[in-house]
Amino acid sequence: MSNLNELSITEASKKLKAGEITSVDLARACLDEIKKRDISLHAFLEVYGDVLEQAKAADAKRAQNKKEGKESHSLLGIPLALKDNILIEGRTVSAASKILEGYVATFDATIITKLKEAGAVFLGRTNMDEFAHGGSTENSAFGPTKNPHDESRVPGGSSGGSAAAVAAHMALGALGTDTGGSIREPASFCGLVGLKPTYGAVSRSGLIAMGSSLDQAGPLAQTVADAQLIFETIRGKDALDSTTIAPDTYPKKSLGKRIGVPRHLLKEGIDKDVLQKFDAALDALKTKGYEVVDVELPLAGLALAVYYVIMPAEVSANLARFDGVRYGLSHKGKTLFDDYAISRGKGFGPEARRRIMLGTYVLSAGYYDAYFGKATAARAQLRADVERVLKGVDVIVTPTATSPATKLGEKTDDPLAMYLMDIFTVTANLTGNPALSVPMGTVTRDGAHLPVGIQFMAAHGDESALFTIGKAIEARQD
Amino acid sequence: MISKEEVEQLAALARLEVTPAEVEGLQKDISNILGYVGQVAAVSLQGNALTPGLSKASSLMQPYNVLRPDVPRAVGDTMAGKEAELVAAFPKHEGMFNIVRKIIQKDE
Repeated sequence: MSNLNELSITEASKKLKAGEITSVDLARACLDEIKKRDISLHAFLEVYGDVLEQAKAADAKRAQNKKEGKESHSLLGIPLALKDNILIEGRTVSAASKILEGYVATFDATIITKLKEAGAVFLGRTNMDEFAHGGSTENSAFGPTKNPHDESRVPGGSSGGSAAAVAAHMALGALGTDTGGSIREPASFCGLVGLKPTYGAVSRSGLIAMGSSLDQAGPLAQTVADAQLIFETIRGKDALDSTTIAPDTYPKKSLGKRIGVPRHLLKEGIDKDVLQKFDAALDALKTKGYEVVDVELPLAGLALAVYYVIMPAEVSANLARFDGVRYGLSHKGKTLFDDYAISRGKGFGPEARRRIMLGTYVLSAGYYDAYFGKATAARAQLRADVERVLKGVDVIVTPTATSPATKLGEKTDDPLAMYLMDIFTVTANLTGNPALSVPMGTVTRDGAHLPVGIQFMAAHGDESALFTIGKAIEARQD
Repeated sequence: MISKEEVEQLAALARLEVTPAEVEGLQKDISNILGYVGQVAAVSLQGNALTPGLSKASSLMQPYNVLRPDVPRAVGDTMAGKEAELVAAFPKHEGMFNIVRKIIQKDE
């Protein structure tokens, strides 16, 4: 491998430690690739002007560490891309929305503080569906990102810019956020590893909130080891997020080799090539000594409906803060009501407006019990279901998405069709379980080889089970 | 299908200006989505999270308060000393004040 930007984080880190390359070399290689490819891919909303200075500082820190005999963090000097809903002090953050026009973050998200301590280099902020509302990046106020494997297709979303940046080797790894699949689905579409951690494992302080009971930040990376490294760097209890958990909050499970497949969910609506790759991946795991058993998740069929009640409800509450009074876009009308309505009407794109109104509907006095009340009850039952199944198996496995990446514009006119793409990913957000998407090969469409992912979901706090089985799938492809 | 008036009422509740052209599309989209999510109506309210029998891990989903001491941010805290930056983000400000519309007016 000749190009430094194509190294995995683990490989690059080894070379940095051995003194074979510098952080500046790595940063330059990424910046060159961005110059070459991002005009057509549009993965970045902004490439920071001080990338090389950050890299120089990382090289200096390494030299200093060496002098003092201190071990350098494996992410020191590694160029990463950041989804545009993660605050970095002093830098523009927009959640790909016009309503945050001109907004400059006033503090660092906790995950940024942790990555700064490690010495990571931040390349820039990446495109996303506005406020993370979507699965294709087509809902960005700044135009869609394209899939590096086939530029007529979407990269997935909402962390589509982060996924495209890593898949096109413009960054060695990236941070995304996942509310209903927004890390895992783009990982599947772009051929990457994507992790949605256990709810509470990673601090949400400084993330622009979408669904507060669902959101988690996590890595998009070339390898499972890279994803694990980023996760272990950003995780941890945080006084600024009262929902964060300690590493020992959940009991540790003994690691076995039993995999549960909810076959009843795979009967219809799934691309047959995806299903064929899925079965091949299961066969490979069997040859590695894994036992594959059928499991039943009776409520999983309802998960998507539950999600599309709870998520918009939380969205409508979280997005109420964008009122044109404290920051961002501000329009004046005749009355105070008009100030709010015009600022929000002009600032939010169509999908954000749709979700705010849906949330307003399901939370309104007349409909609350029928929608939000029922969905909350179903969510608790779903969680009990998943917990029961995970007593008998170590991971639950499904394809990550029902199909490979779709064409740009294919589903933009039908929001419900777009929502149905999240069918396998939303459960982990509703139940708080960790889930990992790992590439399981490619399928061919119009001559292009499109990656597809396999998703593993483990018990709360059991990310290590995901990394172990993820590495087993990876090893099959080497 | 939900009515035009209902969409307008929702928009008003959500403090969103919508154009008349948009209302029609929203009637269709919101009706379709509500039709789909309406499946949740089939869920029985028995056996929900508030009933016993779930493990300790599940009980973590139960709402409970996590409190921090009610003290000012310490110097060096990521959120301490950011007053000037916060004020700079106001759409309109004067000194350290946010200029907002007068909302209490004399009766006419």
